[in-house]
Amino acid sequence: MALPANRPRPAVLEQIRYSGYLITKNSLTTVGFGIVLVLLVIALLAPVFVPHPEHAVLGTTNVAEALRPPSGRYLFGTDELGRDLFSRVIYGTRISLQIGTLAVGLALLIGVPLGLVAGYLGGFVDEVIMRVTDIFLSFPPLLLAIAVAALLGRSLTNAMIAIAIAWWPWYTRLMRGTVISLREKPFVEAARMMGTPATRIMVRHVLVNSLSPVIVQASLDFGSVILTSAALSFLGLGAQPPQPEWGLILSTARNYFLVAPWYSFFPGMAMVITVLAFNLVGDGLREITDPKTRRL
Amino acid sequence: MKGIRAWSVAVSVLLLVTVALAGCRQAPRAGAPDVFVIANNIDPMWSWDPADSFGEEIPVLFEMYETLLRYHPLQDKLEPVLAEDWDVTPDGLTWTFRLRSGVKFHCGHAFDATQVKKSIDRTRERGMGAAFIWDAVERIDAPEPQTVVFHLSYPIPVDLTVASAYGAFMYCPKCLEEKGDDHYNNGNACGTGPYKLESWRRGDQVLLTRFDDYWRGWEDNHFDKILVKVVPETGTARQMLEAGEVDHVRLLPFEDIQVLKKNPRFNVAVSPSFQNVYILINSIREPLNDARVRQALSYSIPYADIIKYVMHDYATQSVGPVPAGMWGHDPGLKQYTYDLTRARELLAAAGYPNGGFSLVMTVASGDENHRKVAEMWKGELAKLGIALDIRTMPFDAQWDLAKSPDVKQRQDLYILYYWPDVTSPQAFLEGCFVTQDDYIIFNLSYYSNPLVDDLVYGAWQAAGTDRVRATELYRQAQAILLEDAPAIFVYDMQNVRVLNASVKGFKDNPAYPYVLFVYDLYREGKR
Repeated sequence: MALPANRPRPAVLEQIRYSGYLITKNSLTTVGFGIVLVLLVIALLAPVFVPHPEHAVLGTTNVAEALRPPSGRYLFGTDELGRDLFSRVIYGTRISLQIGTLAVGLALLIGVPLGLVAGYLGGFVDEVIMRVTDIFLSFPPLLLAIAVAALLGRSLTNAMIAIAIAWWPWYTRLMRGTVISLREKPFVEAARMMGTPATRIMVRHVLVNSLSPVIVQASLDFGSVILTSAALSFLGLGAQPPQPEWGLILSTARNYFLVAPWYSFFPGMAMVITVLAFNLVGDGLREITDPKTRRL
Repeated sequence: MKGIRAWSVAVSVLLLVTVALAGCRQAPRAGAPDVFVIANNIDPMWSWDPADSFGEEIPVLFEMYETLLRYHPLQDKLEPVLAEDWDVTPDGLTWTFRLRSGVKFHCGHAFDATQVKKSIDRTRERGMGAAFIWDAVERIDAPEPQTVVFHLSYPIPVDLTVASAYGAFMYCPKCLEEKGDDHYNNGNACGTGPYKLESWRRGDQVLLTRFDDYWRGWEDNHFDKILVKVVPETGTARQMLEAGEVDHVRLLPFEDIQVLKKNPRFNVAVSPSFQNVYILINSIREPLNDARVRQALSYSIPYADIIKYVMHDYATQSVGPVPAGMWGHDPGLKQYTYDLTRARELLAAAGYPNGGFSLVMTVASGDENHRKVAEMWKGELAKLGIALDIRTMPFDAQWDLAKSPDVKQRQDLYILYYWPDVTSPQAFLEGCFVTQDDYIIFNLSYYSNPLVDDLVYGAWQAAGTDRVRATELYRQAQAILLEDAPAIFVYDMQNVRVLNASVKGFKDNPAYPYVLFVYDLYREGKR
């Protein structure tokens, strides 16, 4: 957690304890973190407890048992090819978390350095970088992601790249704003006076201290990114059958909505819960990092 | 109190008026147009020009345009439409058709032999869609207003050709002369059929209305209008059907059909079809250029499971490329079975004992049946060590990829619905399997075998005069194709049409897939 600069830096354990305290202070944030933790565990342990991993990983079909309603044998019922929906939805958690991490990570990787450079150096470099972000931001992000995904070809990896391309300018902007306000702060000036190289100042002093709003934004975006990738898969631009991606499962399930309502329900619920959890976490982080809303 | 009273009176009056108005809506006034409503999953109008049509638009085009004859393949009978009768010289090279008199186009121009000549000549000149069905025609003459003569360079069955589902529409050439050659493709229509175009909103709906001067005349019980609505979601379409908002849904998942079948409010008509499903194998790429590998693929399809669980028994496993029920189909030909042991042997013989290669299969997005087939097959291929990479994409993207000038870009496997233009084996064999170097029609196997070419063209030349010889040549061509396996012949479909039970008079004609011929239908009772 980002702590105000004037507070004495506690030991690592103390820091974790303090973070835990901040998280548990708000019950909604606690719920959010709790769900995310559970999702992580589910994603990691999926192969251990899922009854039919082959239905999820290989997409092995079992047509004789198609569209069975939920039961003790198939907790979430089966899909139109007789595959265990429970296994598929659980494995879908892995894919969704991967997408969230990789797409947001890639967007951060592009966006943050550009914002840092633009904000710190200013002038011509700033102009160029910001005009480029303006161009990207003038497209609705989903539309841009669709266009890029269509251009790159249909696959989950390309969908992630497409999302990152649609998302990075937001981080650049956010980063630049924070960096500009930090640039004139006394500790940065002091570093500059001491003759510290610019790159070192940028990384050691400016970057570290301006990350918290970006982290908050990134955790909020996690949910949107998962939704966007589901939308891309729904449109056939993302995951390809038989990958157990939630958006793809939903786009198939809608064909059987009247015959097998559970088929749409479970992946839909999984998506709702995940996105909600990340939004709660994001909101919580914002409250914690913003001194105005933080009540100790 | 008074205030409450006034309110309750006002509310009651409002309620009464609402009820009365609702009542008015329910009882149609005499003479209100009876509209036949079709829910279509996509905008059917791929092409408006009847010369270019080679896609999903024929159910709409056949309500507006007619052909000289109509073929009833199950009875092997030709019905006169715009032509009243015809004859052919013994050498099979000159066909004379006598036309019906008093027929008018929607624009008011008269239909006669000159228009026939001009329509077909234009279709041939444009060379789009199914124009190749006229390849044998050397010259068309119109010696008298009601007589058309086809002079051929080699004999073909012109009677079947003029009844083709594609490329044989009679349209008004004068409209094109007056309004420009792209008049039709701009979303206009002018034929001799019972319904004329009233309006079209791209991606939304097509509305046709009856053509008062139609030559068959109008009795009381015909439908006045046809509305084709685009309803992409099958769930929505089914709900509209159940709510009585539509009369017919073009495509519904079989799971829904199984439910609707039990409801007396709907009529699920099942009849033979000439539609079948091929998986075309890219036969020019390693390792698929080895016939043994292609045969192994043919042995790896779980045919019985596909027919039972994907098609819900509304299909049968194909025997060769020509569907059952059509002349030229031979049930005695080789039929591949699901046999992974045999597949493994063939792969081993070809040098791939453990598979070890991957294949890209394209599937049109939204097609549940094809996607299911692909996913089931993926599991079987995995057992052979072959990785199947399924790529769903919109049909046009799939189509463009298949014809990509860069051969390396093309798919390995293409799953395709196929149905005939001219109702003959020629449509299947020429369309998909003869050498198509410069212009690919449907030969997405990129297969080329001069022996097959000779047999197929030879059969077509014999077909006009010697059906027995033609059948034998087609049989030989199919035997080679089954051995060479440029495609997997998966299943022959049945036509399953879901209609509101108030619609009567429907007889499916497999020569014209999805065409309802709404003029022949009528309504009894309420939707």
